[in-house]
Amino acid sequence: MSELRQIYYQRFSIAQRIEHLILILSFTILALTGIPQKFAQAGISEAIIALLGGITTVRIIHRVAATLFALEAIYHAFVIGYKLIVWRVEASMLPGIRDGRDVYDYFMHNIGLKKEAPRLPRYNFAEKMEYWAMLWGLILMGLTGFILWNPIAAARILPGVFIPAAKVAHGWEAVLAVAAIIIWHFYNVHLKRWNWAMIKGRLSREEMEEEHAGELERIEKGEIRPRPALETIRKRARIYVPIASAICLALTLVVLRFITFEETAIKTIPPAVEAGEVFSPQTPTPLPTAALTPTPAAVIEAATWDAGIGELFKAQCGSCHGSMGGLSLDSYVDALKGGSGGAVILPGDADGSPLVALQAKGGHPGTFSAADLEIIKAWIAAGAPEK
Amino acid sequence: MGTTLRKRLPLLTPIAVILALMLVGAAALLISSGQVLAAPPAQKPDNSLCLGCHRQAGKTWELPGGSAISIVVNPEQYDASVHANLACQTCHTNIATFPHPANSAQDARDYTLQYADTCARCHPDQVAETADNAHARVRQDPGNPNARNAPTCADCHNPHTQSLIQKDENGKLTGPEHAAAANTCAKCHNQIAQEYAQSVHGEGVLVNNNPDVPSCIDCHGVHNISGPTASGNLFRLTSPQICARCHTDESTMGKYGLSTQVLNTYIADFHGTTVTLFEKLDPDQETNMPVCFDCHGIHDIKRVSDPDGGIQIKENLLVTCQKCHPDATPNFPDSWLSHYIPSKDRAPLVFYVEWFYKILIPLVLGGMIVLVGSDIFRRATHRKARPAGPDAEEKTGR
Repeated sequence: MSELRQIYYQRFSIAQRIEHLILILSFTILALTGIPQKFAQAGISEAIIALLGGITTVRIIHRVAATLFALEAIYHAFVIGYKLIVWRVEASMLPGIRDGRDVYDYFMHNIGLKKEAPRLPRYNFAEKMEYWAMLWGLILMGLTGFILWNPIAAARILPGVFIPAAKVAHGWEAVLAVAAIIIWHFYNVHLKRWNWAMIKGRLSREEMEEEHAGELERIEKGEIRPRPALETIRKRARIYVPIASAICLALTLVVLRFITFEETAIKTIPPAVEAGEVFSPQTPTPLPTAALTPTPAAVIEAATWDAGIGELFKAQCGSCHGSMGGLSLDSYVDALKGGSGGAVILPGDADGSPLVALQAKGGHPGTFSAADLEIIKAWIAAGAPEK
Repeated sequence: MGTTLRKRLPLLTPIAVILALMLVGAAALLISSGQVLAAPPAQKPDNSLCLGCHRQAGKTWELPGGSAISIVVNPEQYDASVHANLACQTCHTNIATFPHPANSAQDARDYTLQYADTCARCHPDQVAETADNAHARVRQDPGNPNARNAPTCADCHNPHTQSLIQKDENGKLTGPEHAAAANTCAKCHNQIAQEYAQSVHGEGVLVNNNPDVPSCIDCHGVHNISGPTASGNLFRLTSPQICARCHTDESTMGKYGLSTQVLNTYIADFHGTTVTLFEKLDPDQETNMPVCFDCHGIHDIKRVSDPDGGIQIKENLLVTCQKCHPDATPNFPDSWLSHYIPSKDRAPLVFYVEWFYKILIPLVLGGMIVLVGSDIFRRATHRKARPAGPDAEEKTGR
């Protein structure tokens, strides 16, 4: 057995292996920057987004990786076309009924219900599944990604609801792709046994036995379709290369147009400044003017305590010179009696009355208006009658 | 007299010490209780000497700068106020005599500002809250032309008329208090207040006195008011949480038939995701990503069904979208699901795409797991894959 290991079979050219590296790079970046966007509220997503420099940076990285992925797809289409059309190699990646049978046989053999494992072809069902899932993913992610990248343009031709629908599809398709890579690819290529084909480009005979027994047999029987003559290749290439190049160039231009079409999701313009003055005081209420003192002419005519003079004292002086002690101007008797310093009203002698002198000087907390003071003076001069 | 005191001193000293300790204890209790430091005396003081003059309607004081202030205190209003049991001198500490001592105030504003620190003596907690608020920042900014106009306590709470603020059993302001608060802010923010009065919230507060409806202070804070500009972009980025306080509360929203899914549907969407991440990771990030008020209005928030600008109406929503996406076409607003969770009736396409993946993902991954599991099983039972020999293929006719 050990000597069988020394025989190797070439599986992938250097160019194919580089393609695979580009895929690893772009897919991993897309997953690392995309899955946290889908589950943005999860703590781990926040940590990843913070680590990568914030959500805007994450979105930009995602777009760069997506562009790389799309360009790789165009290159791949060119190469596959060349192989199929110029070299006329077998379309060994095409799925068929045979693959369904292989899956069944593989499963039955694994669980011990079938003695022999299927003899798998150059690309077995596991690899075909990955390849076509990748192609499906490319188309779906490309279309929905375009919608999300250019929502304004997309809404010009599609109903608006396509945008949230694209977001849902883009996100779940990504979850499916990443989970499939982890379960299917990692198990089959790395876990069950480390497969070096995409690094070293070759498989041992033993590995070929297990995974590509059908292909191994055909190689050994010399059934592999030979490369056409150089002349034939040149002839076909002369037609294929210009046409395919033009198509790929056009596709590249389309991709470049798409990725530069809008900056809707990543451009931040300064928020509009709110119109309207913050400080806009209400017009202040004018200060209330002094209430008009009730000084009807009638008071002067009947200038007695009871006919108005008493009210005048009460209104102007009552709050202090009331029942608090000291001078009280509450009643006629008290008013004439005066305070601790003696009488303040001297009937008949207006100018000699201390009350008048104090009021005339001004500065007392309660001060009569000039008109009121004249009335008071007239009343004292008239003998300060009660009635 | 001297001998009596000397005789009584041994007796008086312990009493004095005990009294002093009690006083200190009482003061400590008052401080720790937070709210109002100096409990007002239970009895009404005699303010009649002051009111004798100051009750007289129309009394004003002319200041050197030409402005005048009313110096009238209406005794009935004062008696009804929360400060009714305070003597005038509690706050007007410098006025004990008549004529009053000279005052250096040059104008009415000067005089108000003289009392800026007065309230802290009894309300230290509330004053502390105001220390870094939007108004304090304006007041302390020498370059701001309105620095002097920034309100002090008394500008919002007239100390002579402020009544006890009415709250319900849950500590929530009553409807009339909501309206009073809005009217207080309106004194200086009149233009905004006019907009607010036209809004669905303004109508609820000012017309219906509905305590469920937010007044200015419910969004902006009371004493810790943080201005939308003073705190940079943080106000914008955190603003959805302000709206969410009420709009995710089922008990309140249920009364008005409003959805409580507005926040999670917003966060799940592109705009909300971005804003939420900005807030968490980069709070200073300048962003035009819309928050609630960019679409619904700031102070002029309308019902979405309002015929005049309500954004439930697609044409109005398009105009809203075009504020940031000027090229948006009439299809574009449908890309926003209007806070609805996709269903057969609402955005069925999104609903069915979700369903497609709910079926596809378990199906594909399940199949893979079964196949991988079978392979693990084979290896665990130490069986080597044995492809049929080359002859077998001929036998089976392949």
